Amino acid sequence: MDKIFTKNIEHESAVKHVTGKAIYTDDISEPKNLLHAVIGYSNCSKGVIKKIDYKDVLSSEGVVDIITEKDIEGINDVGPIFKGDKIFTSKNIEYYGQPIFAVIAKTNNLAKKAALKVKIDLKISKPIVSIEEALKKKSFVLKPKHLTRGNIKYGFKKSNNILKGKLYSGGQDHFYLEGQIAMTIPQEDNNFLVYSSTQHPSETQQIIGKVLKQNYNSIHVIVRRIGGGFGGKETQSFLFAAITSIAAKKLSKPVKLRVDRDDDMIMTGKRHDFLFDYEVGFNNSGEILALKIMMASRCGISPDLSGAINDRAIYHIDNAYFLPNIEINSYRCKTNTVSNTAFRGFGGPQGMFCIENIIENIAQKLNREASEIRKINFYKDKIKNTTHYGMRITDNVIEDIFNKLIKKSNYKKRRAEINNFNKKNKVLKKGIAITPVKFGISFTTTHLNQGGALVHIYTDGSIHLNHGGIEMGQGLMTKLALVASNEFGLYYENIKISSTDTEKVPNTSASAASATTDINGAAIVNAINNIKSGLNEFIYDYFKTNSKIKYENNFVYFDKRKISFKELINTAYLNRIPLSSSGFYKTDKINVNTKTLQGRPFLYFTYGAAVTEVIIDKLTGENKILQVDIIHDVGNSINKRIDKGQIEGGYIQGLGWLTTEEVSWKSNGVLATHSPSTYKIPTAGETPFKFNVEIYDHGFNKEKVINRSKAVGEPPFMLAISSFIALKDAVYNANKGKNSENLIAPATAENILKSLH
Amino acid sequence: MSRAHVDFLLNEEKISIKDLDTNITVLNYLRNNHELTGTKEGCASGDCGACTAVVGELKENKISYKSINTCITFLYSLHGKQLITVEHIQKNKLHPVQQSMIDSDGSQCGFCTPGIIMSMYNMYKNKIKPTEENIDKFLSGNLCRCTGYLPIKNAIKNMYSYKSNKFSKSKVIRLLKSIKKTDIVIKKNDSKFFIHYNLNSLIKDYQKISNGHLLVGGTDLALEVTKKRKDLKNIFYLGSNKDLNYVKNKNNNLHIGSATPINDILPILENIYPTFAKMFERYGSEQIRNTASLGGNIGSASPIGDSLPVLIALNSKIVIQGKVKKTLLLDNYFLSYRKTKLKHNEIIKEIIIPIYKKNILKCYKISKRIDDDISSVFMAINARIEKNIIKEIKIVCGGLAETPKIAKKAQKFLLNKIFNEENINEAKKIIKKEFDPIDDMRASKNYRTKISQNLLERFLYENNKIKSTLY
Ligand SMILES: Cc1cc2nc3c(=O)[nH]c(=O)nc-3n(C[C@H](O)[C@H](O)[C@H](O)COP(=O)(O)OP(=O)(O)OC[C@H]3O[C@@H](n4cnc5c(N)ncnc54)[C@H](O)[C@@H]3O)c2cc1C
Ligand code: FES
Ligand code: FES
Repeated sequence: MDKIFTKNIEHESAVKHVTGKAIYTDDISEPKNLLHAVIGYSNCSKGVIKKIDYKDVLSSEGVVDIITEKDIEGINDVGPIFKGDKIFTSKNIEYYGQPIFAVIAKTNNLAKKAALKVKIDLKISKPIVSIEEALKKKSFVLKPKHLTRGNIKYGFKKSNNILKGKLYSGGQDHFYLEGQIAMTIPQEDNNFLVYSSTQHPSETQQIIGKVLKQNYNSIHVIVRRIGGGFGGKETQSFLFAAITSIAAKKLSKPVKLRVDRDDDMIMTGKRHDFLFDYEVGFNNSGEILALKIMMASRCGISPDLSGAINDRAIYHIDNAYFLPNIEINSYRCKTNTVSNTAFRGFGGPQGMFCIENIIENIAQKLNREASEIRKINFYKDKIKNTTHYGMRITDNVIEDIFNKLIKKSNYKKRRAEINNFNKKNKVLKKGIAITPVKFGISFTTTHLNQGGALVHIYTDGSIHLNHGGIEMGQGLMTKLALVASNEFGLYYENIKISSTDTEKVPNTSASAASATTDINGAAIVNAINNIKSGLNEFIYDYFKTNSKIKYENNFVYFDKRKISFKELINTAYLNRIPLSSSGFYKTDKINVNTKTLQGRPFLYFTYGAAVTEVIIDKLTGENKILQVDIIHDVGNSINKRIDKGQIEGGYIQGLGWLTTEEVSWKSNGVLATHSPSTYKIPTAGETPFKFNVEIYDHGFNKEKVINRSKAVGEPPFMLAISSFIALKDAVYNANKGKNSENLIAPATAENILKSLH
Repeated sequence: MSRAHVDFLLNEEKISIKDLDTNITVLNYLRNNHELTGTKEGCASGDCGACTAVVGELKENKISYKSINTCITFLYSLHGKQLITVEHIQKNKLHPVQQSMIDSDGSQCGFCTPGIIMSMYNMYKNKIKPTEENIDKFLSGNLCRCTGYLPIKNAIKNMYSYKSNKFSKSKVIRLLKSIKKTDIVIKKNDSKFFIHYNLNSLIKDYQKISNGHLLVGGTDLALEVTKKRKDLKNIFYLGSNKDLNYVKNKNNNLHIGSATPINDILPILENIYPTFAKMFERYGSEQIRNTASLGGNIGSASPIGDSLPVLIALNSKIVIQGKVKKTLLLDNYFLSYRKTKLKHNEIIKEIIIPIYKKNILKCYKISKRIDDDISSVFMAINARIEKNIIKEIKIVCGGLAETPKIAKKAQKFLLNKIFNEENINEAKKIIKKEFDPIDDMRASKNYRTKISQNLLERFLYENNKIKSTLY
């Protein structure tokens, strides 16, 4: 498994992307008689429906039917692990954007026009919108969780310094460029073929099965690629696929639901915003001795994945730091807002945001260089190497990465230059920060750490590759094809990448938690090994040899012979040797106690660090990223081009979360920012031209992960915390050394101006 | 006699249309009528660029190219033009912009990619130098959620180093020439789409209809269809009207035809009012600037229309054409929130901007995001300062009231005062009381107020050569 993949090829679909030939769900040739669904949803956040009048909807041009709760044969719920995510409500309105009905019409536009004509008589009541209100009213979607380690009282007693404060990190809309979409096509025997833009075809299948009250084996889900997911299509896609399936079954016609961008932003969950209340004790050199944290997140109306997300926030409150005495109280707040969901990092970014701010505040309080305080608190090798949840860290490289980056980025010199600049400039002020990332890889829900694959060799020697992962831009298919090509010793071109398909590989996990390559890659290797061991047996037998067999460059070598792979396969076929196998993999070693959260939730950690330099305008709070330097650990990379793209893209997405992207709720629970004209993700202008990304050259995964590589999807997102801390530093500098602890995220120009004295 | 069909080139094929809905957008037409699905929908509101295509128009025997958002472009407005889609730019081999994009790893999920390719193609065709500033400017209308843009920027930097296949344009030119540019009216059920080539015929038809909608770029109007799902019954397209498309410098006044796209105004404006031109670089995106007009900006009468405070600060006038022609000061045009003095059956014909040679013009736009964002506050200052005395000053704000509004008290206070910190501080106190802005998702009331004060301070610092702007 430890071979080096040297071929740094481009994304498998790159040519199709640039020519417009890559097919997304909405581009699939439409079947005859296709109908279009549009959802009608509530426009208040809490209330009771007294009466609904569908007359004008039904008489609207092009309308074929409407569907409501009454049309659901099975369960009216698309909740993943926990229930609580109704498809349609018929009585109680619990959040703004809650689906009430769907119009089925001849075109998408006619359906939408009709949906707007509904007349709903409502009794509106007062919603719970903010985290504070929910905390006050003890409104939770799941029970609070607590984690302690060490002796917090003793820790505070030993501390010469104590700081208290509040922190807040905002929500974030996924803004995948391809909006939510699903199309269901009826097949014979009441079976349904479903195309869905989802990160989770297996659960889509299961949920549709439950909604239609049919066996899972009657639902067939296919996904070739999705136009971005970022967690927003891990569970949020289910609603739309369920509705097209209900309608397709009722009307016996194919039905498509392409969600309008505004409707998408209104109806789907986002990243959890978090409120933190902290108290930290530390000695005069800045070493943290005691930390007490209250963290509360806005989960919205239902549990969805909030349990695991908040757990992961707890698991990442340490980031790369040893916290000897700690008490964490985590609250999962229920609010009358759409249910918040998975988003790249899955609670990890929020946890890290908290500790990085705390450390910065300690540095400001002690008037010390913050990078030094960070280093003092790092986990160490032999001592201070156990996390607050009891996992020993054995692969720690943060110190090395950090030191290299300080050197490479000229951090110290630039810090001095910045001080100089700030002295000379009255209005413009600069700031800089370096922050580390340590991120745990594996699903924290243990049973999800399994994957499957199915590999066929056809008689001409070409390979057909199937597995449970979804291509959403992360380059999964490219990497996995490389894995297969490497295992078979075949040129990459011989590997056919196919759609992910529930009829080929069953019961898969979502493409999430960054672990998709690890898990599916291992399953593929397992499948290939099965085939190869049959082939090897055959070679021993047929060619009368017991030499080592090598698969390389489209050939197979044994004794001193060399035959082409194609010839081997053909001969094997004629001798009735199996040329197809499934494969399976489960991640060993991990287990956690779900109550105490103690154990080993992760197989391994990935590490990285980033330096960001910023400038702010004291008069307006406007700001700009001047330079970013990153060193990031991807283990022994399978494909550096793809990994680099994940690092750059992750950083900028994180930058958006912490700067321009503001999810704004009105006090009545209505979402004010539901279109790209009011919700601003980064544009090219936000990306600095001085953006230096280096892949850590000593990268190696101690665990037996494919190629000894490391997961790369989520971790780089958190490198962007350095941008926020740099802005905080700039505000601190502008405030002439008075603290900047009341800066909240996102650090919009307005929030920056507010924190300036 | 008007014709009743619209002709354009879809890539290199001449197409004639007349039976389609008058509100159909180019994007929906491509995807639904031609299965040209390379052009994507990401928002249907002009914000994401996934739907970007390039339009070619014949100008003096040459084809001039510009990028557009097909999601908010009405199909019938393409008459006489060539529409180039992503499927078409690859001839025998990939186009340089495509190859460069691949080699720089500019696509991940790939959904934004066709739109970005077309923005790059637009740069390539217009031979835009790939400076950092230009790259940001030309990409401002394309969102990508995956890549973080760096590889795309690199692709643009490198794209000119690839050789492109040369193809003769004579066929396209010939086909474009074959399309007659005479007035058109399309009738579909009870809806009409008018295209006029001169003012007289436009005014004549416009007088006859009571519920007509004037259309130029559609960057405001089309959203009524794509977002509010309205049916626009009678559309009058002004974008091809030669009597409304011009920029002239006459007697110390700039005369701008109301339907002139912003990007066509910039070359002249740059020399006269560089700060005004610079402001337009942050107005919408390249795609928006390629089609949006001043007439449209005034016509939509939004309190946050970016050109309005500047035009008012410069004492601009507008010429209104109905049965009769009248000229009025733009400041007198706005009545209340989105209400103006324009009567139905009247149009704005031109905008007249006086040229002040001795004045300083400042255009301060504050928004959440720098590129392609709507202002939370806008301040335009037109002042003449002599020997550090403020001899003349006009301060106009957007985003602080229901219409763009002059800070009358603050400017009155500053008039004939020494331009120093003391007086600016006093003016800050005055302007604070002058407006009562709203709270919304773009900015809070407090922030808007504070900004209006601090921008006066910025004006002073800039005058004293103290660095005080990032953009
Ligand atoms: C993505 C995006 C970004 C934007 N960014 C900005 C920005 O940064 N700053 C800003 O100010 N605006 C912005 N806008 C708003 C819009 O682009 C401008 O208001 C633009 O100037 C409108 O011009 P248009 O030619 O497209 O108008 P249209 O949409 O064609 O028309 C707008 C309105 O004006 C009327 N009208 C048009 N011409 C005339 C005329 N000659 N006489 C009378 N009425 C007329 C129309 O009937 C219509 O009601 C943005 C819009 C989008 C979609
Ligand atoms: S689809 Fe987003 S700009 Fe057109
Ligand atoms: S590549 Fe996915 S949005 Fe740009």
